[in-house]
Amino acid sequence: MLSLRDPLGPRAVGIGLRAPHVAEMIASRPAVGWLEAHTENYLGGGPAIRALEALRGWYPISLHGVGLSLGSAEGIDRGHLERVARLVERIQPAVVSEHLAWSVVGGAYLNHLLPLPYTDESLARLCENVERAQDRLARRILVENPSSYLRFRESPIPVPEFLGELARRTGCGLLCDVNNVYVTCRNLGQDPAAYLAALPPQAIGEIHLAGHARNDVDGRTILVDDHGSPVAEEVWNLFMRAVGRFGARPTLIEWDTDIPALDVLLEEARRAGQVMSRALAIEGPRDVAA
Amino acid sequence: MTSLHELQRDLRAAVLGGDPSRAAAAVVDDDLPAEARLRIYRHHVRTTLTGVLQAAFPVVCRLVDERFFGYVADQYIRSDPPSGPCLFEYGERFPAFLAEFPPCRALPYLADVSRLEWAVHRASRAPERDPLAAAALQAVAPARAGDLVLLLDAACTLLASPWPIERIWRANRPEMGEPVTVDLGAGRALLEVRRRGDDVVIRELEPATYAFREALARGHRLADAVEAALAHDAAFDLPGALRALVQEGLVTGLGGGSGEPAAGPAVSNGRATTEQPLGAPAHVPCMRRPGE
Repeated sequence: MLSLRDPLGPRAVGIGLRAPHVAEMIASRPAVGWLEAHTENYLGGGPAIRALEALRGWYPISLHGVGLSLGSAEGIDRGHLERVARLVERIQPAVVSEHLAWSVVGGAYLNHLLPLPYTDESLARLCENVERAQDRLARRILVENPSSYLRFRESPIPVPEFLGELARRTGCGLLCDVNNVYVTCRNLGQDPAAYLAALPPQAIGEIHLAGHARNDVDGRTILVDDHGSPVAEEVWNLFMRAVGRFGARPTLIEWDTDIPALDVLLEEARRAGQVMSRALAIEGPRDVAA
Repeated sequence: MTSLHELQRDLRAAVLGGDPSRAAAAVVDDDLPAEARLRIYRHHVRTTLTGVLQAAFPVVCRLVDERFFGYVADQYIRSDPPSGPCLFEYGERFPAFLAEFPPCRALPYLADVSRLEWAVHRASRAPERDPLAAAALQAVAPARAGDLVLLLDAACTLLASPWPIERIWRANRPEMGEPVTVDLGAGRALLEVRRRGDDVVIRELEPATYAFREALARGHRLADAVEAALAHDAAFDLPGALRALVQEGLVTGLGGGSGEPAAGPAVSNGRATTEQPLGAPAHVPCMRRPGE
C-alpha cells in the first residue's frame, strides 16, 4: 500500500501560496518542496487559476479546502463538491486536504471553521461526508485537526481519538496542524504532548506549522490561530516532538494575515527542514507506514 | 431535526450576531464564560466577511468611511450571509442592499457606484469563455438572422446610471490621494465592463450601441436588439455593430431564440437615454483575491 506521504516526499517542506507572492514565485522559482493552494480561491477564472497552472509545472501542489464543511449535519453541498472535483481534475494535485469543522447550515456559509461536539452522531456524519468526498474525488483526502476556543458540554470523545476513528472508518489520512494542537490545548487547559501521543502515527500524512496571536478576552489570554506571525518557539518544540513520534512528514508553513516578504516564508520553511532533521537524528528515522 | 443540526443552527445565530443564549447553553463555562468564547467566533466571522466586502467594494468604503462601511457590512452579512464558500462570489446583492438601506439615502449615487465595483470584481474572476469565430456568424442564413440570439461573454456587465459613476469611481480608487470634486450633473453613464487578458476594461458606450448590446445581453432576438438601437440612432450600422462584437471577442455562442443564455452577462438598470461621448477605454489592474 502506498504511504500517504509518498506524493510529496516525506521530508519535503512547502509554503502556502499567497496572492502577493505569486508573481515573484513565477519569476524566481525559489527552491521549496511544494506549494499549498486554498481550493476556494481557484474556483473562478482569470489570472489566479492561470498562475496556479503555471506553478504546477514546477512544484507539487496540495489543494487545501476550507469550504466542504465536512461536519455539516445537512451533508456536504453537492454543487461545491463538483466544483472542487473539476479543479482537482484540472490541477492534479499531489494531496487534497480539508478540515474537521463545519461552516454551512441552512444554506448559509459562515466563513469559519466552526467547532463540532465530538459525539457518536458527529462521527457518523463526518464519516458519511468524508466518504462522499473521497468517492467523488476518487482519492483519499487528509483531514486537519481544528483550533478550538470552546468545548461543548456533550462532547465525550477526545479529539485525537475522534480523528483516529474517522481515519480508521473512512481510510482518510490526517493533517496534523501542530500550531492548532498548541492553540487548542492552551485555550482549553489540555496537554499538547498528550494530544500528539493520542494521534495514530500511521494516519498522519502531513504537518502544518503557523504563527498565532495572543489576545486578551475578558482578562483571560486566548491564543488565536491567525497565521499572522512566525511559528512560536513552543510550537517548534512541539513540532520536534511530533516528528519524533510520527517520523518525517511533508510539512507546510502557513501565513495568511500580515503576509510578509516571500523570503521570510522561505526562511521559516528552511528552519522547518532543519528542525525535522534534528528530530529525526535524535529519534532515529522511522517508517511507521511500512 | 438531529441534535447536531439543532446545535449548528444555534451557533449560526450566535456567530451572525443574533441571540447567543441557546448556543451558550451547550458550551462549557469555565475560566471564560461560554458567551465570551462564542464571541471569539462571532468576531472572526464578522471581521473576515467585512474584509471580503471591503476588498470587493473599496470605493464604496472610501465614500462612506470605514466605520460606517463596517456598520452597513454587518447589517448586510446578518441579512444575507454567503451562500457558498467561494468568497469572491459574495457581495452580488450588496448594491441592492445599499439602494434600500435608509442611512445611505443621502448618497443617491452610492448603489450605482457599488454596481460598477461589483462588475469590475466579477469580471476579474469570471471563467474564460472561447469567443465565437466570425465564420460561425457569417454562416447564418440571412432569412434566419432576425431570430438569432447571440450569447455574450458572461464576464461582461452592461451598466447604466443617471450619475457619472465612472468619474466618481475613478476619483475614489484606494490608490488615489486626496478626493477630487466630481460634478454630479456631469452626465449619465452607459458603461460596459469586461475582462481583456488579465485586465478589466471599463468603456463608455454610445446610446445606440449600449441599447443594442444590452438587449442582446438580456437574451433578446437580434431583430429586437436592432429595434432598440434604432430608437436611439436612425442610422444604426448593424453590420458594423456585429463586426465589432465579434472582433472584441464578446460573442461566445449562438442561440436559436428558444432559450435564455444559461450564464449570460449582467445588466443593471438600462434606462438612460441621453447622448454620451465615446470615452477612451480605461485599464484597471485585476483585484486581489479575497481571503488572501
